[in-house]
Amino acid sequence: MHRTEVVSGAKVGMTFPGPVIALEDATFTIGKGQFVSLIGPSGCGKSTLLRIVAGLISPTGGQLKTFGAPMVAPRPEIGMMFQRATLLEWKSVLDNVLLPNTLAGSVTKADRVRAIDLLHLVGLQGFEFAFPRQLSGGMQQRVALARLLNTGAELLLLDEPFGALDEFTRERLNLELMRIQSQVNATIMFVTHNIQEAVFLADRVFVMTPRPGRLAAEVTVDLPRPRTIELMKTTEFNDTMFRIRDILGGFI
Amino acid sequence: MTEVAYIPPAPKPKGIPAWAQHLIVFVAFITIWELAVSNQWVSALILPSPFAVAAAWWDLAIVKALLWDDFAITLTEVILGFAVGAAFGTTMAVLSAIQPTFRRLVSPYMVALQVTPRIAVAPIIVAWLGFGMEPKIAIAAIICFFPIFINTLTGLMQVDEDRMEMFTSMRATRWQVFRHLQLPGAMPVIMAGFKTGISLALIGAIVGEFVSASIGLGLMIQRFSYQLLLAEAFAVLIMLTVMGLLLYGAAALADRYVVFWKHDTLLASISARLRARYADLLTGSRAQARPAE
Repeated sequence: MHRTEVVSGAKVGMTFPGPVIALEDATFTIGKGQFVSLIGPSGCGKSTLLRIVAGLISPTGGQLKTFGAPMVAPRPEIGMMFQRATLLEWKSVLDNVLLPNTLAGSVTKADRVRAIDLLHLVGLQGFEFAFPRQLSGGMQQRVALARLLNTGAELLLLDEPFGALDEFTRERLNLELMRIQSQVNATIMFVTHNIQEAVFLADRVFVMTPRPGRLAAEVTVDLPRPRTIELMKTTEFNDTMFRIRDILGGFI
Repeated sequence: MTEVAYIPPAPKPKGIPAWAQHLIVFVAFITIWELAVSNQWVSALILPSPFAVAAAWWDLAIVKALLWDDFAITLTEVILGFAVGAAFGTTMAVLSAIQPTFRRLVSPYMVALQVTPRIAVAPIIVAWLGFGMEPKIAIAAIICFFPIFINTLTGLMQVDEDRMEMFTSMRATRWQVFRHLQLPGAMPVIMAGFKTGISLALIGAIVGEFVSASIGLGLMIQRFSYQLLLAEAFAVLIMLTVMGLLLYGAAALADRYVVFWKHDTLLASISARLRARYADLLTGSRAQARPAE
């Protein structure tokens, strides 16, 4: 069965004044429900590509389509999450999750119930009325994830969302992210510079190289789901990791 | 043999409670002051003894009940001056923050206002507005305007880029960005400007009274000083210190409640209140969540 195309790029390029070629000729398609990791060293254009897909910046070359239409501005079907939780300190955890509703104009009781369900989904029972500064970094990112899910977006763009967290928290959140994705059937683009994380999460890994930023190769991760930590011990997993490492080889 | 460097933990203050420590310092200060005067290290004409000051205050404020009208007038001038200065300062700052052209056009005048010693305008203001409370209010407003303007503008301009991108990706309007991100994010800096501003407004009102006044603590301190009644002048000074503390305390209290999210103790009680208010949501949510699991 042919999957619906959620994102497609044709020779997408981004040159910043300078000129700095942040991204050159990125051509790719991403189907509905796919989990794609974007990996590469600093300056490879992975965050730039993510921001183009988000509609935060317009590419200077090529064409990018999301949901079949050319990208001109941010769309409600697309949500973004950052390395920092970007919570609003003056709002309770619940009100932070409700931000998309607040911006849409009204917050109903049904919205609140749904937001609380999402908080429970990301494992934050009992913290609904806490404030961001009372939470650990990992918990703050869980709030940000719940807020992202509350946008109702079908395409989630995650820019190193767990990059600032310790290894154990990151591992746990990765497992939960996969569980949640399978529940809400979202399409995910996940930027990381951790090869293990990229392989563990993804169906496909876009390997990117810097100067100029390019989509150097694509590695398909043909490992069964649901995945557990045990998977990392298998030779298939490690072979995939080293394939990516070899592609990046000269650039790390 | 090498020794491992060991930094001992800072000792906890033990034995004497904090308030007693403050009392000891205060008593020592008064004692040294008294000794300095009674031993004539300093002439009593220049520095009245603490007891002379206390006696003068008692006589003026309690026995003759003289200083309270002045206190009320000066306080009114400060509060109204601050209100006017804060209103102008925040309005100009908000306009500057949301309108780059406006910011570019007014900024030279703001810099000019900053580098001009603003109390120098006091005689001019008095010439314009006469001898009532208006010139004091105006001078207080002019003096406290600047820190309020600059803090508000700085606060509004320093928007976190990631948060801004998040709002953009959620297609927030400009007003929503201002209302939900810029303004609350700026509140800590704005409130700091208000705290500085209220102290400066007091200075402004006193300067205005120095230039010309028929009532007010500034006038009283000037009059007593000219008559070399220094104990009385100090008694008035104490009233001004008390007023300054009251004003600053009010601003600090307002800061605490406006910028509540910086205070852990307040957050705990707000969390508890929210939890109580939305208790039904929590049970409702669990009831809905269960069948899905």
